[in-house]
Amino acid sequence: MLTRHRPDRALPTFVTLIVVGILLMTLHVRLEGGGVVGVLRSGTQALLAPIQRAAALVVNPVADVLDSLSNVASLREQNAALTKELAEAQAALVAVQDEIARLDLLEELYALDSGGSQIGRTVANVIGRPDGFDLAFVIDKGTSDGVVAGQPVVDTNGFVVGTITSAGPGSATVVPITVSREGVTVLVGAQVGTLLSQPASSEMRLQIIGNATEPVLTGDRVITSASSVSYPAGLAVGEVAEDVAPVTNSIVARVRPFVDPETLRLVIVLAWPPDPISAATDEPVTTESTTTTTLATSTSIEGS
Amino acid sequence: MRSRRVLLTVLLIVVAVVLQTTLFGRFRVITPDLVMLLMIVLALTRMRPEAVLGVAFASGVIIDLLGSSLLGLRGIVFTAVAFIAVRTRERAEIGRIATALWAGLLTFAGIVLLVLIGTLFGESSLLSEHVRSRVFLVPLANMAVAALVAPTIVRWVNGDRTSLRYA
Repeated sequence: MLTRHRPDRALPTFVTLIVVGILLMTLHVRLEGGGVVGVLRSGTQALLAPIQRAAALVVNPVADVLDSLSNVASLREQNAALTKELAEAQAALVAVQDEIARLDLLEELYALDSGGSQIGRTVANVIGRPDGFDLAFVIDKGTSDGVVAGQPVVDTNGFVVGTITSAGPGSATVVPITVSREGVTVLVGAQVGTLLSQPASSEMRLQIIGNATEPVLTGDRVITSASSVSYPAGLAVGEVAEDVAPVTNSIVARVRPFVDPETLRLVIVLAWPPDPISAATDEPVTTESTTTTTLATSTSIEGS
Repeated sequence: MRSRRVLLTVLLIVVAVVLQTTLFGRFRVITPDLVMLLMIVLALTRMRPEAVLGVAFASGVIIDLLGSSLLGLRGIVFTAVAFIAVRTRERAEIGRIATALWAGLLTFAGIVLLVLIGTLFGESSLLSEHVRSRVFLVPLANMAVAALVAPTIVRWVNGDRTSLRYA
């Protein structure tokens, strides 16, 4: 008697799927993440974002408890350091308030406008991360909140985080600068350079090629330049991590970013450029505080 | 029976994706790769090998779509891992420890493949600061999770309480 034997189709299926995978990767590279790939990405995010948002509501308190249990030893030290910092900040605040009062008075006397381009801000929660190997993360604001691909993202202190790479109606994906393939045009003192990510490192590489005239020193602040096409001028990115003198008018130095993308829970998406005229200006950024709509407070984040 | 198995598989994938992207996305160093682990465990079920490969590919593509990396990268990696799992499943059926070790080794192979192919295609986002430690810690976490849940998942999907009862 003959028995029906099911043929082993695992190998042909495997080969077919690998070929399809390679085709998808090629398509992605050719379309540079846009076109069909972009539509698929925002579609998937639109489908999963509500579930992720609901899960985050349940999961975040649990993760917070586990986090605090694992960090209980360092929390005491952090608390002491923060108390000291708070006292210093309060002293600095009093000094700044005096300065602001003087500035207001002078502006009133000379009938000056505070100037600076106003940028809309959208506060968003981090609701998901694909896995431990992809540092991109998903936020709970999307095109319906005015968030679109290409917009810059900062943390609550105004430090640069990265850019939006894709956006669906209710969610968007942010790629941090520390893993982005694209460089950021930055300013160190008066020198313009490019900041690039480094593989397997939390630090970035600053390159000032051909026009370096003075050394960069440890602790020098690195801020976004007006020449940057992705970020408004004057946003703090990080600080130089080593002293480097120019060699044949060029400098390559390590930069420590201010933001660790893996610890972020809340970010701010900047509606930038607001219009072509203000995008072209070299003025420091003035931000407006909002959640999804625009309010005006005019807090200068960073001077260029 | 078949529709129940399909429904359970879809449900397990959704749960794994949501848990991985929300709960385990919060932990920085020791975190399992639940979706990859699920693909490995599905190879132990009575699902047809072609179906396991198809599910692995689709799940990988979903994870790719939720992140920033190259579309199809995890699709290829998960399919390769599932293929090796299907071909070596007998070695995992000896006992709970064997299942855990087998799942850990396959996860390690998958992660090495992910980093290797990703690097060849210029995916710098995969090479983060903690990549060296995660190459080892994620398989360890998967090993622990596999020891705990693999037999239960196999029994659920098969709809048979006697499945994967180690001798």
